[in-house]
Amino acid sequence: MLSAYNITKNYQTNGRVVPVLKEVSVNISEGEFVSIVGRSGSGKTTLLNVLSTLVRPDSGELKYRDDNLALFPEKRLNRLRQSDFAVIFQFHHLLPYLSVLENTLLPFMSSLRPVSKQRVQQARAGLERVGLADKADRLPGNLSGGEQQRVAIARALVKSSRVLFADEPTGSLDKETGKQIMGLLMELHQEGLTVVMVTHEPGYASLAERTIAIEDGTIVH
Amino acid sequence: MNLFTIPLRNIRRRPSKTLLLLLVFSLGVMSIVALYQVSLVVGYSLEKKLTTFGANIVISPATEKLSVSYGGFHLGDMVFDVQELPEGKTSQAIRSIKLQDRIAAVAPKLVSMTKIGDTSIALVGVHWPEERGIKSYWAAANGRFPEKPDEILVGSQAASKLGMQVGDVVSIYGKNFSVSGILFKTGSDDDSVILVELGVLQTLLNRPDATSFIEVAALCAGCPIEDIVDQISMKLPNTEVKALQNVINQRMASVHFVQKLALSVSLVILVTAAAMIGLSMLSAVNERKKDIGILRSLGYGKSQVFMIFCLEAGFIGALAGFIGYVGGFGASFKALEYLALSEGAVPVFAVAHLLLASAVFALITIVAAVYPAWKGASVDPTTALVAL
Repeated sequence: MLSAYNITKNYQTNGRVVPVLKEVSVNISEGEFVSIVGRSGSGKTTLLNVLSTLVRPDSGELKYRDDNLALFPEKRLNRLRQSDFAVIFQFHHLLPYLSVLENTLLPFMSSLRPVSKQRVQQARAGLERVGLADKADRLPGNLSGGEQQRVAIARALVKSSRVLFADEPTGSLDKETGKQIMGLLMELHQEGLTVVMVTHEPGYASLAERTIAIEDGTIVH
Repeated sequence: MNLFTIPLRNIRRRPSKTLLLLLVFSLGVMSIVALYQVSLVVGYSLEKKLTTFGANIVISPATEKLSVSYGGFHLGDMVFDVQELPEGKTSQAIRSIKLQDRIAAVAPKLVSMTKIGDTSIALVGVHWPEERGIKSYWAAANGRFPEKPDEILVGSQAASKLGMQVGDVVSIYGKNFSVSGILFKTGSDDDSVILVELGVLQTLLNRPDATSFIEVAALCAGCPIEDIVDQISMKLPNTEVKALQNVINQRMASVHFVQKLALSVSLVILVTAAAMIGLSMLSAVNERKKDIGILRSLGYGKSQVFMIFCLEAGFIGALAGFIGYVGGFGASFKALEYLALSEGAVPVFAVAHLLLASAVFALITIVAAVYPAWKGASVDPTTALVAL
């Protein structure tokens, strides 16, 4: 479903070229739950960003279904992120001035055309699914960290994404809340969602069907 | 809920910052609107005052002119087929043009030559109220202005030529007239003529309703003088309608000076206010890199991020335009009252102008926000993600 071949990514730091990914190849099947593990600075987040199209690789090929994403113009990549791909981050990243419902509907608010009633219903259903139906009108600042992460997951649910990329989704949560979020991700995976998760928690990584370990920009197993 | 919801909610997030920005921009708009309204009224009032210093349009009957020369000698120009303008019909036609509200005064005249003793002198028939209305600089050096039909006013040069004094009785076309006053030197043709009531002269000459030419004082602040001239020409096809460009240019220069001064000050205020909006948006871009990162991760393109910043600026601009226009309109009354400048003229409120002001100021703020918005849209997702 999603394949990366010989991906290379370098960053410039103080005029010095730092290789972050060195000819990395990954293959993710439809409906699979894959975790990416590694130490800080190993390149796991960069790999997730490349796979989710947030960052373009310097070289290599990234294929989604039959399309070579490396050849996609910016606009097509944006459309892909609006439809098939969803990303959740360690710090939840909701817009603080939008309500929970509006944050959930954010992917559909990108034009001046009003969001349809059907989408609003879907968003409410998504919030119900993650247990936040009664907090739809609240601002994210009034929610706990776990609740905010659930809003981010509801956002991914509403747009019927095929692949969910999660960058340390439990990183900023306490153990109990982290477990709840992982339970939710497992549930979604069991319903057919492809999940690619970066984590440095061995316990959570072991819940995935497959673990990719990365070290100094190279996959070690 | 749509793209506009995002900037709208963000504005609500920081009410004090938004209010401050709105206040500053509204004050800017208010100053511009007040200055504009005051300059309009002052321009109108100034022009009205200047109108009393002379006419700016002359209407005369169409004539034929022939240049005569014989045997190599130039014998001068011959004017023939001279017609007269019927006073009533012509005055009525002038007063009925579309731009009739711009006509300040209509002063008809009948010119005739006569002899007093052995001296030839020009007689000019005028209507005293109209004439004095367009010639407020007239002053009687001796005596007073005529009040009765058998009184005349004599130009300074004509008085010395004829040896006339105030109180003298002169016979003109067999009728006795008393010299009620002698004009101060004006430096114009009025110095060498005798002025008499128009109706009296028409009767004496047995030319009822006749005039030689008509002087018109038109207000040109609101429209070009050419329009007034064209409209009078249409109404009076067999006449020659001439705009006295020197008079108009001098008059308009004074009006334009006031308006240009107001425009210059307005531009400075506008640029300052726009720069403030631009700076505020620029700092907003830096503060909201995280927001940009979230939006880009959700598939928002550069154009959509660009639009969010422009919509935010445009909203503030439109609101400031609305508040500023209403405030500026009110302030213009106070300013005119305080400066005692209005001379009876008042600013005119127009809903269309209010909407136009909102749209124009929205556009100005959008233009001011283009660079910050472009900067925000150009934030590389990778950089934005670092902010995450």
